[in-house]
Amino acid sequence: MTDSEIIELINRSLINEFELDPGAMAPDAHLVEGLGFDSLDFVDVVVVLQQAFGVTLREEPRVREVRTLGDLHRLVIEKKRELESSKGA
Amino acid sequence: MAPTLRQHLEAMGMGTYAGQVIGIPKRCRRVASRMTVVVMNIWVPVLMLLETLIGIAIFPLLLVVMRVVTRWPLGKIMRYFVRLYGRVWLWIVSPFVRMKVTGGDPQRLARPSIYVVNHLSLFDIFVTSAMPVFDVVICLRSWPFRMVWFRPFMRLAEYMDIERLPWDQIVQQVQQIFDEGRSILLFPQGHRSRDGQLTRFYSGAFRLAIQLDAPIVPMCITGTDRLLPPGRRWMAPADVKLEWLDPIEPTAFQGELGHIKLRKHVKDSMGACLARNQL
Repeated sequence: MTDSEIIELINRSLINEFELDPGAMAPDAHLVEGLGFDSLDFVDVVVVLQQAFGVTLREEPRVREVRTLGDLHRLVIEKKRELESSKGA
Repeated sequence: MAPTLRQHLEAMGMGTYAGQVIGIPKRCRRVASRMTVVVMNIWVPVLMLLETLIGIAIFPLLLVVMRVVTRWPLGKIMRYFVRLYGRVWLWIVSPFVRMKVTGGDPQRLARPSIYVVNHLSLFDIFVTSAMPVFDVVICLRSWPFRMVWFRPFMRLAEYMDIERLPWDQIVQQVQQIFDEGRSILLFPQGHRSRDGQLTRFYSGAFRLAIQLDAPIVPMCITGTDRLLPPGRRWMAPADVKLEWLDPIEPTAFQGELGHIKLRKHVKDSMGACLARNQL
C-alpha cells in the first residue's frame, strides 16, 4: 500500500464514518477547529483507523500529538510501515 | 415561465400560509402578506416579552403552589413550567404559524428515552413543548446557558451543559435521570442547519443509548426554518410540523462502532421523515 493509497483510505474512512465534507479534507485541516471533531470522535477515529489498517493506535502516545489531518496521515503511515517491517522481520 | 405566488412568497421567506390568500389581485396579496409579516414581528416579540416578564413575576408564587399541590421535586416543576412557557409561545404564534403534531403510539414513549431532534431554528426548543411527554431533561451546548434571563430557569430545570461536562459525568447523570424515570433530549447536529437539510450528527446521544441501553426516539421538525432561520432577524408565517418516530432500540447495534451504525440508522430515518414532511 503506497502512502497516497493510505491517505486516500484514511480520508474515505473519515468521510464515511463522520459525515465530513470531502472538500474540507486538506492536510492542514485542524481536526477540532477545521473538521469539528469532539473528544468522543477522537476515540472513534482511533477505532475506525485500527479497523481499516490493522494497526494499534489506542496505546500509541503519538496520538496525543495529532492536531491536523496531515499529522494523522503521517502517524498512520508510520504505524503501517512499522507493522509491515515487524511482519517482514 | 413566471414564478407563482407561492414561489414569490417562499422566495420572500413567507411560506405557504400566506400563499393561501387567493382570489384577490396579486399586488394586494403581496401587500397583505407584507402586512402580515409586519404585524407578526410586532405581535410575537411583544407578547413573548410580556409572557417572560409575567412568568418571572408570578414564578415564586406558582412554584410554591405547585410544590404544595403536586409534591413534585423542584426540577420536575421547572420542566413543567418550561413546557408551559413553550405552550404559551405556541398560542402566541398561532395566528401566523399553523402547527401540526403527529407521531406513533404515545404509549411507546413511556420508557425513559433519548429524544433526538433536528435543528433548524432558535424556536425549535419551543416547538418541542408540543411533544407528548414533558419530564424531559434537555442537554445543550454551552451557549444557551449564557443567556442570563434563561440561565437560572435552565439550571433549576436541571438542563445539562454537555459541552462542559466530562463524558463519565454525563453518563453518570443521564443514568440517574433514567433511574428516576425521566428522559433526555438532544440536538445531535449541535448547530442549526443553514439550508434546512440534516447536517452532521455527533455521536454522543447514540453512544449514551448503547452504553445505557436506552431507546432513541427520533423527532423531526419542519417549517421553523421558514419561521426564523439562522441569520435572519425577522419572523415569517410558516407551517410547522413536529413528528416523532417509533423508538429505536440500541440492541441491534453492537460492536465497537455500534453507536456510529445507530447514528447512521437514526439519521436515515429522520432524513426520510423530513423529506416526506417537506413535500
